[in-house]
Amino acid sequence: MASHGELIVKLEGVSKSFAGIPVLHSVDCEFFAGQVHCLLGENGAGKSTLIKTISGAHAPDSGRIVFCGQDITGHLPAWAKQHGIATIYQELDLIPNLGAAENICLGSEPRTWLGQIDRREMRRAAAETLKSMELSLDIEAPVQTLGIAQQQMVAIAKALTRNNRIMVFDEPTAVFTKNEKDTLFRLIRDIKARGLAVVFISHHMDEIFEIGDRITVLRDGRVASHGPVTDYDHDKAVRLMVGRNVDSSRRVRSPSSGSRVLDVKGLGSGSRVRDVSFHVDAGEIVGVAGLVGAGRTRMARLIYGADQRTSGEVRLRGARVEPRSPITMIQLGVGMVPEDRKRDGLALERSVGENLGYTLVRALSRFGWVPWSRIRQATEEQMAKLRVRPNNPSIQAQRMSGGNQQKLVLGRWLMCHTDLLILDEPTRGVDVGARAEIYALLQLLRSRGMAILMISSDLPEILSQADRILVMAKGRVVGELDGDQATEEAVIAMAFQNEAEAA
Amino acid sequence: MSAATHDLVATGSTGWRRIDVLARNGQIVVLVLLAALGGLFEPGFFSRLNLSAIGYQYSVIGLIALGQFAVILTRGIDLSQGSLIAISSMVSALTVPSLGLPGSIAATLAASTALGLVNGAVVAWTAVPAFVATLGMMGIARGIALTLTNGNPVPMTDAGFHHIAWGRVYDLPVPFLLFVVAGIVIALFLSRWPLGRHLYAVGGHEENARLSGISVSRVKLSAYALSGLLSGIAGLIVTSRMSTGHPLSGMNYELESIAAVIVGGASLFGGTGRVSAVIAGVLILGVANSVINLSGLSPYLQGALKGSIILVAVALSQIGLRSGRGRG
Amino acid sequence: MSNESTAGPSGTESPQPHALIRGLTNDQRDLVSVSAILLVVVVVAALASGGTFLQPGNLVNVLQQNVVLFVLAIAQFIVVLTSGIDLSVGAVVALSSVLFVGYLDFGVLPALLIAVAGGALVGLVNGLMVVLIRLPSFVATLGAMQIVYSIAKLFTGGAALHASLGGAPIPDAVTGFYDRSVLALPYPTLVFVAVFIAALVYLRSSVGYFLYAIGSNDRAARFAGLPAGKLRVGAYVVASAITAIGGVLFAARVSYGDPQAGLWLPLDTIAAVSIGGASLTGGRGTILATVLGVLIIAILNNTMNLIGISPTLQPAIKGLIIILTVFLYSRRGS
Repeated sequence: MASHGELIVKLEGVSKSFAGIPVLHSVDCEFFAGQVHCLLGENGAGKSTLIKTISGAHAPDSGRIVFCGQDITGHLPAWAKQHGIATIYQELDLIPNLGAAENICLGSEPRTWLGQIDRREMRRAAAETLKSMELSLDIEAPVQTLGIAQQQMVAIAKALTRNNRIMVFDEPTAVFTKNEKDTLFRLIRDIKARGLAVVFISHHMDEIFEIGDRITVLRDGRVASHGPVTDYDHDKAVRLMVGRNVDSSRRVRSPSSGSRVLDVKGLGSGSRVRDVSFHVDAGEIVGVAGLVGAGRTRMARLIYGADQRTSGEVRLRGARVEPRSPITMIQLGVGMVPEDRKRDGLALERSVGENLGYTLVRALSRFGWVPWSRIRQATEEQMAKLRVRPNNPSIQAQRMSGGNQQKLVLGRWLMCHTDLLILDEPTRGVDVGARAEIYALLQLLRSRGMAILMISSDLPEILSQADRILVMAKGRVVGELDGDQATEEAVIAMAFQNEAEAA
Repeated sequence: MSAATHDLVATGSTGWRRIDVLARNGQIVVLVLLAALGGLFEPGFFSRLNLSAIGYQYSVIGLIALGQFAVILTRGIDLSQGSLIAISSMVSALTVPSLGLPGSIAATLAASTALGLVNGAVVAWTAVPAFVATLGMMGIARGIALTLTNGNPVPMTDAGFHHIAWGRVYDLPVPFLLFVVAGIVIALFLSRWPLGRHLYAVGGHEENARLSGISVSRVKLSAYALSGLLSGIAGLIVTSRMSTGHPLSGMNYELESIAAVIVGGASLFGGTGRVSAVIAGVLILGVANSVINLSGLSPYLQGALKGSIILVAVALSQIGLRSGRGRG
Repeated sequence: MSNESTAGPSGTESPQPHALIRGLTNDQRDLVSVSAILLVVVVVAALASGGTFLQPGNLVNVLQQNVVLFVLAIAQFIVVLTSGIDLSVGAVVALSSVLFVGYLDFGVLPALLIAVAGGALVGLVNGLMVVLIRLPSFVATLGAMQIVYSIAKLFTGGAALHASLGGAPIPDAVTGFYDRSVLALPYPTLVFVAVFIAALVYLRSSVGYFLYAIGSNDRAARFAGLPAGKLRVGAYVVASAITAIGGVLFAARVSYGDPQAGLWLPLDTIAAVSIGGASLTGGRGTILATVLGVLIIAILNNTMNLIGISPTLQPAIKGLIIILTVFLYSRRGS
């Protein structure tokens, strides 16, 4: 049992980059036993990456990680788990088809003298753990049949049965009701009392002030500020998260005079998207801001036909349409650049030219015959226009940098007739140079009359590119900002709603 | 089979019990219906001779279906079972003169289990997919079986061997008893022993199982070794029945074992299923087979019919599984 | 030229091949690999057979004897391209051979069309099972294999078919097919070349282009608006139709229809496709490399026969080849 105040985990000068893009810059951080240490920051500030360096899922490029006095830099997740670093991610580490009791004891099941699993003991141990958490749930049912909040509880129970020194919670309350959150907090206080160090990430400011002892604010991968929670209040925290000098070169926006291209009313799909209504005109960029899990991607996919809506209507250029599938919507002039270009965007093994040509080949082919030379020419022209580097259509797509890959996916929609372009995190994983090029391209398209709907978690990006900004939280549009109202603070304030307001 | 990421999707607490009960009893209902149909339309159905024939034939399939089930639980597949039966058949007949009855049985089981281990090693330690590895083994084992005596069958010289297929204990045929015993042992193993539960864990979510400290390699090796062992036992029965070691035995048995497992409610994606349902699946196939046999239709039409029924049954099970789980 | 490779979130980078090779595309690299293996095999064959392998008569022999395999490997490649596998190729050969012989009463061309239609129908069922029911292709085609063999046996009553259903003997045009040649190229080789060219055209069409897309990333292809389901079913139909042509060639060679033919063809074709560098997970490979792969298998068969390795051992060797090539190719960093 650790004494309170003992230093459990220390990060010294930890830096991490992905594909040349820095995500953490020389981060120093300390986590003490018996304390709840909250990490605060916008999407992309580096919180997730930071805790993954603690859990061993990522190895830092530079810097040290010290665990109970021992330098463990470069350790693996399995090691971390065995030696007392427990992480509760949103993608839980449970086995879906096994029961709660089995999951809790997995890998260290109590045995009888015959080597069999001692089921009675297993049930008893699991029930006891759950009882100490004041939970009652069916410990035999496959965990995939439990509600998500309950599954999270089982994952936590599993971590509790080991001798852990530090427990990391990555946005545990994202899907909780108030009661479940109270139960979790009771648990966390209990864990704290037992002398574990607790790391807690949440977007709900009120939760941080309720449960936290210390705060570290991350901004652009750096520690912007840290200290006891009593040193902070809501406004100060927001200011620290946003902190940068507002880009005064915000471009002058002329009001949109274009016709209405997209009109969405009452769009819904289960509980993930609820009663969303908005419009996009020709020649304007509408940004969609919000926290991860707010339903933005889902909403976009509903419009594109990649998922099926359950309510509401979609109108394109005034006419009601049925987004049955991407094929339908593409023919109507809609294109979408997906959030995950590696999974939903590109065939990485195939060549750049091949990937770029999907839409054009489909448009130009007649009974199987394809005007290859024309396609090749169009592809080369497009690559030049987009400044894809290196400008070689035969290279495999996976050899290109993130920025160039993104240009390919984007470029597809420029090679066929597109009236409405939907972008989901258009510059995620894209280097600064390509980013600027993509922004220039979007502005050019806008000036030529394209309607653009852009989902982004990058506030400066949304603020500099979008004409109007919709803010979503928990599946609903909770606000719209334009003109002078559109500031980072305003967006964050709207996005960081607590449940009472957004429910 | 794609490596889908597993989301833990809630389907409601009370729902699962209902689905599970249905899944458990569904097969039995179908079985009873089929048997009733058979009894109604074919007078000889419930005769001792017919039941014996079903019992023998489907004890063999049943044994390998149990092994196939273990492998499928880990999200794998074993296409080499029929060929392993052939090798076992040959090994048993060839080693009996020199090793005697117990020796040849031991040698046979050792050989088939070893080949199963090879399957498991390739699947566990290389990126070669299970169906490729066991497809390759299918060729390798069949080729070796054929080459041992240049394609010629080998007569079984030990009289005692006869009892494996033809003997009776308490008036129950030995193959049937072997099947039942194997079924009970494996059912217990899968529900009570850590390694058995780990088969479910690895199939359910391999990455999370690994993170929990389970040796995924060991689990997979065990599954394929078990399949090899059971194929060996099946091979012994087949040899005994014909009193001949035959290199062409076991042809296409793997299709029936896979079908039995799927009809028995397991998913090809692993992690689900119960031994009792698999046994029911075996019996369903056995009864269906018998009904078709007794129908008097042309033997080749029977073959086409059997194959179609297998595919339809598998298709229905797959569709049922998908909607039952609430996954799209 | 940018030489950076894209690092994943865990910081691992795809292995960098030798500088010389780096400039080539995937497909070109595969061709180099296969050609290298082919060269080795030819040398081994020449040495092992004491030079008899290289005699012109023997080379023609190799081609002629394996025409069916050449044709079938192309069919298997098309299915593998879509990340599937077709275990029913042998059964379709059996079926088409008996359909062809059986319906010769109607004339050679009509019988051919009926045989190909039969193959296409099997392909359609395979494709629908894979796309609509989402059965894994090896289960669907394994089941189809059994059923089709039964149907073939049903058609002939179990025995081989030496005459048409109407009792007419097989015409000379068919029995002599293998002996005729034009410009020193035997007819069967011409048929293969025709199929090869047709397949090349198919794969260079929009359909082929989309098949590569579906095989290498099905999700992305669907997201970009490609009709993945229809394309996949189409691939199975085309593949089985080509297989049926192979079956007719087979019937011409042996001068009868055999409802039990082709038991080892699935193994042979998968081995050929694997050696030819096609990835069994789809989206990679070329017809040319596959043909070279068949050549390697054919030469191996021939050499094994020449040096007296028992034909019964050959399935074992194919099985080993499949596992080895899949293993080795799985380690190639793209």
